[in-house]
Amino acid sequence: MRKMWIVIKREYAQVVKKKSFLIGIFLTPAIMALMMVVPALLAMKKPAGTEKVAIIDLDGQQLGERFAEAIKKYKLDDSSPAYQVTGIYNASPDDSLQLFSLKRDLDSLIQSKDLRCYMIIGQSAESRDSIILVAKSFSFRTSNRFERVISDILSGLRLEKSNINLDVDSVLHLTRKVALIEQSPGGKERDFMTIYIGGLVFVMLIFMTAIGYGQVLMRSVIEEKNSRIMEVLVSSVSAFQLMAGKIVGLGMASLTQVAVWIVIGVGIYSFRSDLNIRGDIAGMVFNPVFILFFIIFMILGYIMYSTLFALIGSICNSDKEAQNYIFPITMALLLPVFLAMYVIQEPDSPVVITLSLIPFFTPTMMIMRLNILSGDAFSLSNPIVIEAILGVLITLLTTIAVIWVTAKVFRVGILMYGKRPTFPELVKWIRY
Amino acid sequence: MNEYLRLEKITKAYDGKIAVDQLSLVVPKGAIYGMLGPNGAGKTTTIRMIMDIIAPDTGEIIVEGKKVNQDFKDRVGYLPEERGLYKKMTLLEVITYLAEMKGLTRQDAVKKIDGWLEKMSLGEYKNRKVEELSKGMQQKLQFITTLIHDPDLIILDELFSGLDPINIELVKGILLDEKRAGKTILFSTHVMEQAEKLCDYICLINRGKLVIDGRLSEVKSRFGKNSIQVELEGDSAFVKAIPGVENVTEFNNYVELRLSPAADSQEVLRQISEKVKVKRFQLMEPSLYHIFIDVARAKPEDFTAPEGASHA
Repeated sequence: MRKMWIVIKREYAQVVKKKSFLIGIFLTPAIMALMMVVPALLAMKKPAGTEKVAIIDLDGQQLGERFAEAIKKYKLDDSSPAYQVTGIYNASPDDSLQLFSLKRDLDSLIQSKDLRCYMIIGQSAESRDSIILVAKSFSFRTSNRFERVISDILSGLRLEKSNINLDVDSVLHLTRKVALIEQSPGGKERDFMTIYIGGLVFVMLIFMTAIGYGQVLMRSVIEEKNSRIMEVLVSSVSAFQLMAGKIVGLGMASLTQVAVWIVIGVGIYSFRSDLNIRGDIAGMVFNPVFILFFIIFMILGYIMYSTLFALIGSICNSDKEAQNYIFPITMALLLPVFLAMYVIQEPDSPVVITLSLIPFFTPTMMIMRLNILSGDAFSLSNPIVIEAILGVLITLLTTIAVIWVTAKVFRVGILMYGKRPTFPELVKWIRY
Repeated sequence: MNEYLRLEKITKAYDGKIAVDQLSLVVPKGAIYGMLGPNGAGKTTTIRMIMDIIAPDTGEIIVEGKKVNQDFKDRVGYLPEERGLYKKMTLLEVITYLAEMKGLTRQDAVKKIDGWLEKMSLGEYKNRKVEELSKGMQQKLQFITTLIHDPDLIILDELFSGLDPINIELVKGILLDEKRAGKTILFSTHVMEQAEKLCDYICLINRGKLVIDGRLSEVKSRFGKNSIQVELEGDSAFVKAIPGVENVTEFNNYVELRLSPAADSQEVLRQISEKVKVKRFQLMEPSLYHIFIDVARAKPEDFTAPEGASHA
């Protein structure tokens, strides 16, 4: 035990002392934070000003004026108007020269940034299905608002001209569009992006610890084989102690990293309103039961996969040789990412349930499903909880089996230089 | 003879090929014990079994009357045949780490390091990375890591491989110091000449089996034969025909003649000097190399030949 502890300390120090560790520990969340904060900051700056809008009205029914009046209801955060109509140009539809020069003038205003956009309301607009909006770039929000406002105005106009003897406002009220809000059974409002990004974040955390540190482990085994120091080591500790020491030492390094990330994440989350980050993404699923499952799956997954990496390292002589073996592990871990769309839509389909209970897929698949299905309803009556517990047991048993096999192969493999063992040879080592 | 280490009929087979076959040995306490044999004789496998790196299929390894266990590892200094250290660690870090793995506390290790580095004239490299050292320096460093924890038993696999002549002398001096301090030293080599100068006891192993073992002087008198070295001018081909000469080994500037037990060396000298000018004539102790060839009926190709030698 004491010797294993010495191995643990060295492996931990070797990783943590490296510059790449410090860079990774701060750069990764920095990049993630940037990805969340920068758009927020940009979004904060841009619409700070009132957008200038012009209207060319070829229809002659004061539609331009009505539109200008209607969009006054949109306000900025500081309650100043979101849009300012700089001009309503009533032009004759027959005078194409006038229209042409008008458009040219407005275009040049847009180019010189004196105008955000202008709308062209065509002749007999109410019988048309489209209105033109000219701008250098379009914001989703503005287009949506304008579409809504002009639709309402034109619907009103159509109603007036029809023979239906009804109050325009009440018809508009009757035909108003309804917004669909998606909620999970627990009553939490969760939209697609929350589920999708939330699931991916947790899957990627498991993936990065398992693959990232698994590969560090594998390389250190290969390096010790190549530098022939392995034999000195196993003359001091048993092969199993060495392997276990490496797995635990690197596991602690990865936990250090994740812990720092969580601290940074919580920090960003608590300042989210200042930074104008969408709270639903940052605040995803801080549910204690979910976090408990996540930690169990992350640790078990790490042990299972890094043990596999130790196995690969012990039978390979170079990184290059090892790459062939890494591929299937990567695929197994990333399965939920490839199937994300399907898993999110059908988290309870027999195929997805089966996949999430196949040993090497379980950690990431189950976390993905838990993130979708859990909501707030974490009780044993929720089948996903039973399945997750089953998943933990399956992963635990698989991990024990993987450790058993690896311990057998490792002690023979680390002293084999030059050639890689064939599969029958591996089986023989396991039977020793 | 005070026994330190005893192997009892240990056997190890890989894939049906027997590497070590019913091998029994006794290494006396405080002795320098040479395990000799050609490449592939089973020396490394035997040593790995002593170190408990691999387990024997059958047989037992007994140290001071007890079966070996994990604690035994702390009392052994082991230099494997293939040398290597962590290249990215500093000398201080590597030595401390390996010493801690042998049960030394960090403080004790750090205390001892300076003395050893001085002894190996590596003092100025203490905080440099291993990869910055030359090959020869790395070997000295590895030697320090083998001995830093003051082991009772020192096991050196292919001790002389890759060592330059200066380091060989350095290492020999240190091993003799260790011997004086009462340590038991077991080393393997296929270079017989070096072994002869260092060992008290030897064993010869061939194809996994013990061929001879015992005190070096006894082995020599029991199995040795007459041999002479002659340095002469001109063609030496004729010496084979001289009566009493059994075997001729030609080296770059001398020939070694093995004589039949009844032959008279003075008569051989007379016959040679009739034909060519003799620059040097020396009666030799029987060499282990020839004893081995005789007794084990090993083929000379089994050995990496001593430098400069060709076999007639």
